[in-house]
Amino acid sequence: MMLGRVHWLADRLIGLSAIVGTLGLLFVVAVIVFDVVGRNFGAPLYGSQDLITMTMVIIVFGGMSLCDRDGGHIVVDIFENTFSPRLNRVIDVVAALLGAVIFVLIAWTVWQSAQLSVLLNLATNLLRLPTARFQYALCIFSLITALGMLLRAVSLMLGHKAAGAA
Amino acid sequence: MSSVFVGSVGLALLLVLLLMRIPVAFAMFAVGFIGIWILNGLQAATGLLSSETFALASNSELIVVPLFILMGNVASATGMSRKLYDAAYATIGQVRGGLASATVIGCGGFAALSGSSVASALTMGRTALAEMDRFAYSPRLSTGVVAAGGTLGILIPPSTGFVIYAILTEQSIGRLFMAGILPGILLLTAFLLTIALLCTLKPELGPRGPKTNAREKGRAFLGAVPILAIVVITIGGIYSGMFSPTEAAGVGAALVILIGAVTRTLTLRVFWDAARSSIVTTASVMLILIAAHMINPFVALSHLPAEVSRLLVALDFGPFGTLVVILAIYLVLGCFLEGLAMLVLTLPIFMPVVLQLGIDPIWFGVLVVLTLEMGLISPPVGINVFIVKSVARNVELLDIFRGVLPFWLAMLLTLALLVAVPSLSLWLPSMM
Amino acid sequence: NELKYANWASPMHTIVAAQVDPLAKALDEGTGGETTLRSYNGGELGAGPADQFVRVLQGTADMGWGVHGYTSSQFPKSLVLELPGALPLDQPGYAALWRAFPDELAQEYPRTEVIALWASEPNILMMRDKEVHSPADLKGLKMRVAGSISAEAMEALGATPVQIPMTQVYNGLQTGLIDGVISGASVLSDFKLNEVVGSITSGPNFGRLTFYTVMSQGAYDGLSDEARAALDTLKGEEISRMTEEAWVATADEALEAARQADGITVLDLEGDEAQAFNDALASVTDAYVAEVGGEAALAAIRGE
Ligand code: NA
Ligand code: NA
Repeated sequence: MMLGRVHWLADRLIGLSAIVGTLGLLFVVAVIVFDVVGRNFGAPLYGSQDLITMTMVIIVFGGMSLCDRDGGHIVVDIFENTFSPRLNRVIDVVAALLGAVIFVLIAWTVWQSAQLSVLLNLATNLLRLPTARFQYALCIFSLITALGMLLRAVSLMLGHKAAGAA
Repeated sequence: MSSVFVGSVGLALLLVLLLMRIPVAFAMFAVGFIGIWILNGLQAATGLLSSETFALASNSELIVVPLFILMGNVASATGMSRKLYDAAYATIGQVRGGLASATVIGCGGFAALSGSSVASALTMGRTALAEMDRFAYSPRLSTGVVAAGGTLGILIPPSTGFVIYAILTEQSIGRLFMAGILPGILLLTAFLLTIALLCTLKPELGPRGPKTNAREKGRAFLGAVPILAIVVITIGGIYSGMFSPTEAAGVGAALVILIGAVTRTLTLRVFWDAARSSIVTTASVMLILIAAHMINPFVALSHLPAEVSRLLVALDFGPFGTLVVILAIYLVLGCFLEGLAMLVLTLPIFMPVVLQLGIDPIWFGVLVVLTLEMGLISPPVGINVFIVKSVARNVELLDIFRGVLPFWLAMLLTLALLVAVPSLSLWLPSMM
Repeated sequence: NELKYANWASPMHTIVAAQVDPLAKALDEGTGGETTLRSYNGGELGAGPADQFVRVLQGTADMGWGVHGYTSSQFPKSLVLELPGALPLDQPGYAALWRAFPDELAQEYPRTEVIALWASEPNILMMRDKEVHSPADLKGLKMRVAGSISAEAMEALGATPVQIPMTQVYNGLQTGLIDGVISGASVLSDFKLNEVVGSITSGPNFGRLTFYTVMSQGAYDGLSDEARAALDTLKGEEISRMTEEAWVATADEALEAARQADGITVLDLEGDEAQAFNDALASVTDAYVAEVGGEAALAAIRGE
């Protein structure tokens, strides 16, 4: 079935972006250690700030879709038990759709910024890492997140209990 | 439609969305984006959405968030934090709520070092909550302690809050650092008394542990040596200039990983899972921080803080009354806005009034940063509480807010004491 | 019609009185209050100096100011003025920038109307405790730098360049994370570094920092004729001169306060002592100019 195949694809994409994000985190640990040790011996890692700031984009947004799938978004659950199951279901659908809209919007606006970055030739100060590349990466991670949310909204509307929904 | 009206409606809507269980970050994004759209046009709204998102996601100072989460995750996966709590339990477990007291001191120290109460709530939250749970401490007490403990850090140097205040108001950073020390100790004492009081009234919150003999104490302490060594190296490294507080997060994480690998408590599988779960928590926390930065320009564009402040200042309550009113405004704004953003929005309006009334700006600085930290644990937008929630998913948010309440009251009392006795803040800087 | 000026610095910063207020006054008077300019301070419209140009292009603000060095890849030729020895220290930077603007620099500011271009006071070395008389004194010291140009300058002098945010410099100097900072004297007061600096070295031509203020082309073209005329009376060299003079005055005041302070030694190097630094730095300037093809820009800046 079509939807099943989309779910399968989304799961792969979510897993893949989490792997990229995790590798980014370990890379940053290594960069900091090399920089600190090197600096105290008079040979710091050239451009460590550039590496850290740009990798951070990968870390933060690489984990975004997995965070969403694991129900990791923080909610104020004070009235959860007061609401009827039906209302809670409606809220879950609305939240998932709202999230999808937000992440598509983020992807779209950051895509536009990336084009400005190309126009202005923006890059990091020392290593000249092009800003646009990391903005494009952020867009892709955001779209994967939005896809996951959309699928959850569809599942909820079809009556399935969302896996791990908050 | 006046901009102030739009601002007020926006904040009310935010409150409703939050109570309707819309994820906190989504609610802030939606209200901020639509509010900016109404006040300043769609182009400005889309522009801010992209620039704030990318700027925060590539902010080198926020790298401490994933790094400290990683450090906390690996420390608990390898059992290092377990051994630390075993040692603490053997030492002060016989005292009611003893572990909670130890945790509050740990959180304060951590926040003091990292300069960030958010980082403290994250790292300590990861480790301390599960450990206190193991010793049958009530989640209400343990989450309250972790959320509140981090707020100690802003009063103890180095403090980002004081640096920003000093730059905005042209005060001496050194004098502000000195001014924060006694109030910091006072607040710590207030927290410890709060724990003692809570555990006396309700012993089941933090039950007494068994008595231990010197040998058991020694063995427990020995087990905690690796993690204590890491703490000592990290603190020493910051104060000796080996690395910055930001880099300390990376060094700390690397050391925990290294010791885990050497002692073979950290397998590749466990390591990978800890790292992977770190980026999930990072995403959840960073998304809230990014979304908070959509609310800030919205509130700035609505001129809401400026108008409310002008109105109240114009009512002219005299020096003492005005001071109390200003702090009350900070308490209310703190319910919605992130602390540093609030400083930027309001200090330009308050500072001339404060100086004109002859209120000491150093004293005022101490009072203001303490009030801002209260905002981190006050509903509905209490960033520290959300962070504790992100690492303690099984505890209900309402329970965390309930657990935080006594500490919030302790902060309020401390604030009142600092208002009543200015020399508590001003004595040390006057020695300089 | 309210124009929005994005100021990422504090409302007490020199930029407000020296630049925003005069522009606002000219617009207000020239249009009888029809067009006003409002300053959003402290990064209310988005934090930090790095993204200001983009924010103006995106319409978040109509006008904003930034530091060329924070996005150095966008301004390879404007940054020639920052190079050590690019311009004698007693010559104003704004005039040099506007000399080079029409032919050499204009293409670095697409889709905007450039309102002001100016430079800071000369860079100096602000050290934690070590007194620096010669390049040899810098050997192995950790120096906080703002961008690639000052990083290469410090490497050429044998120091180790360190990149940390400006707000962390105070603590960094206190703990010894860094041994010194290269920047203009205004940071002594702006970031309270006077409390943690022990020694200052001035005299050699360490270059300077440059700044820009831009307005989006759309906002400029959308102004009424009166508003545009009012803005044009100040736009360009005039407002740039006013801003730079206020900048230098703030810096002079900070440096003078440092001279009076007990805990700070100020070394004013002259003659051979200063020349030793200038000689060591010449290669940095030459290499940069060659790399960005900035020979014509350098000549225009120098008025050659
Ligand atoms: Na601190
Ligand atoms: Na709050």
